[in-house]
Amino acid sequence: MAPNHSNENGSIGSSLHGVTAREQIFSFSVEDGPSSQAIRSDDPTAKFALPVDSEHRAKVFKPLSFAKPHMRAFHLGWISFFTCFISTFAAAPLVPVIRDNLDLTKTDIGNAGVASVSGAIFSRLAMGAVCDLLGARYGTAFSLMLSAPAVFSMSFVADAGSYLAVRFMIGFCLATFVSCQYWTSVMFTGKIIGLVNGCAGGWGDMGGGVTQLLMPMVFHVIKLTGATPFTAWRFAFFIPGFLQIIMGILVLTLGQDLPDGNLSTLQKSGQVSKDKFSKVFWFAVKNYRTWILFVLYGFSMGVELTINNVISGYFYDRFNLTLHTAGIVAASFGMANFFARPFGGYASDVAARLFGMRGRLWTLWILQTVGALFCIWLGRASSLPIAILAMMLFSVGTQAACGALFGVAPFVSRRSLGLISGLTGAGGNFGSGVTQLLFFSSSRFSTAEGLSLMGVMAVVCTIPVAFIHFPQWGSMFLRPSQHEERSKEEHYYGGEWTEEEKSLGLHEGSIKFAENSRSERGRKAVLADIPTPETGSPAHV
Amino acid sequence: MAIHKSLFASLLICLLFQISHGATKERLFSDLEKGALEVTAKPSREGVLDAGIDKLSITWKLSSTATKEAEFTTIKVKLCYAPVSQVDRPWRKTENELFKDKSCPHKIITRAYDKSPQSFEYTLERDIPTGTYFVRAYAVDAKDHEVAFGQSTNEAKSTNLFSVQAISGRHKSLDIASVCFSVFSVLALLVFFVNEKRKAKIEQSK
Repeated sequence: MAPNHSNENGSIGSSLHGVTAREQIFSFSVEDGPSSQAIRSDDPTAKFALPVDSEHRAKVFKPLSFAKPHMRAFHLGWISFFTCFISTFAAAPLVPVIRDNLDLTKTDIGNAGVASVSGAIFSRLAMGAVCDLLGARYGTAFSLMLSAPAVFSMSFVADAGSYLAVRFMIGFCLATFVSCQYWTSVMFTGKIIGLVNGCAGGWGDMGGGVTQLLMPMVFHVIKLTGATPFTAWRFAFFIPGFLQIIMGILVLTLGQDLPDGNLSTLQKSGQVSKDKFSKVFWFAVKNYRTWILFVLYGFSMGVELTINNVISGYFYDRFNLTLHTAGIVAASFGMANFFARPFGGYASDVAARLFGMRGRLWTLWILQTVGALFCIWLGRASSLPIAILAMMLFSVGTQAACGALFGVAPFVSRRSLGLISGLTGAGGNFGSGVTQLLFFSSSRFSTAEGLSLMGVMAVVCTIPVAFIHFPQWGSMFLRPSQHEERSKEEHYYGGEWTEEEKSLGLHEGSIKFAENSRSERGRKAVLADIPTPETGSPAHV
Repeated sequence: MAIHKSLFASLLICLLFQISHGATKERLFSDLEKGALEVTAKPSREGVLDAGIDKLSITWKLSSTATKEAEFTTIKVKLCYAPVSQVDRPWRKTENELFKDKSCPHKIITRAYDKSPQSFEYTLERDIPTGTYFVRAYAVDAKDHEVAFGQSTNEAKSTNLFSVQAISGRHKSLDIASVCFSVFSVLALLVFFVNEKRKAKIEQSK
């Protein structure tokens, strides 16, 4: 059986080719028309609250809705991630108190900061696999509920070594980033995935800002009840701990892995095939684009994570602000995520509508480079108003770049989607560890110099985005391949399966995805895709 | 819109800071009269002192070499870090500009200036960090500007230093609560997981 037959007869969706092309031209909020329902009268898509595509992924994003399963998954995902950000960076605004309690030096604090983001390098990698194999719900719940003990154990910390160990273990929970992005990627269709992932990621990242306000406030309230500062900060950590347990239980009781149900149920009933981990891993690692995204994310999200750790102390020490005020300033960095990251995702989606994947790549490069330039400026600003202005512009640029990057990531692979989210996410933490180690852990550079140098490194490490090339869509400087076979999305995504697996029909999910991803050709290519009868007599239209 | 509001708010906050700091910007530590007060600080016992428990017996009186005595209105006595406790800790750095100087953050007592010798029995506060310290007394004028000082150590800050051990901040009740919640978290997860696996198996066998 020749493999390219799967593209023509019988494969799901191929008979709807004319309809599909028309759908892509109009606004993405148009409902799945009556034509598909006429063909499949037992169409299960009728039971979803939102219009869905052929993979039952939602085509519309309604942030104020909690409809099962799509919007509910979105909200559970981003709130879980938000909670983990609160926990991971909960120590940062309290460092001025903790450093006195534990007699820490700058080196100790810097190393603990590196540790707090390093744990997630491994957990994010593992999470990609966990999501592919066990589903996003358990990925999220494991992350939340197994790291809650680490948060509570801050009450035991007595010196620099134990402080570092606890921050390292708390940092593992940042793996919820991967499960959250994975969950939204299976629940929402490719055309709006930039915006959805941007919102989920951005609102989750806000936790890094909220914690800078929340923890000093909780600390203050506990002190009012009569506790000494050195006890109050330990007790303050119970709040993030509680939040994690509550969210874990909510995810398990209210969430659903896939649009059609939970993974274990679907796997046992044969609707979703179990994939082999070694294959998933191999195709993720073999794809060079994964590694470019790894580096890129290291200098957008990585920079953001580093800033979450150092910015409060920077404003406290350099500009002589109080703990509370430094917390407010630091919080506004993280809070900008509320609109900055979704904006990046949205900009990526708009660029894709006009210019296809090439637009997405250019958007990513521009946002990340501009953000890094403002970071350089932040380090050089010696007056408070200029520093705050530079910080706000820097935050918008860098966070939008994070959103734009996850407009690209879902298209790198279909088979290894989870693991690629994991690897990219791990790259973010890796970048943060590297920048903290190089620039903020010793007395070699002042914090201000460290900030500027980090900005320079970020500009340089954003250049590799020019090397990401998709044969079917092109790259920043090259056009898509003109080759008959390679210029098709099916060829790219089908290439992840062997002939044997294709003959068993295991790749059908990828083919469905390939068809839905034709929107990445941009406006011009979509118009050219319309079958010839349209240019004929108007009666056919 | 949100970015406009936050930018405006931050600019307002900054302006306020500029105004409040403006008056104190140029005053330097090196301009103060050295050794105008003779200060002694005697620990209540030998060895490392415990915060919250041990005491310091502090005395100060006008030195015979003082010249600016007429301006003294208040004496501010503070606990200061010795150089060894400032290593690799830039937040405790000694700066010449008085408003930037962070080496004497802990207030002991503030008293109106009196010609006769003064003394004070100071119990180390529970939020004093572990470190090596000395005591310094600033003589402040009516405009709340420092004019002179005296300290319990020499100019190089190497003699008559004492060490303090901070409280740990740990509590048994906190430890127990922490363990309880941790166990609950892990157990809850396991219960859910096992339950679902069992339900899925039942479904499959149907």
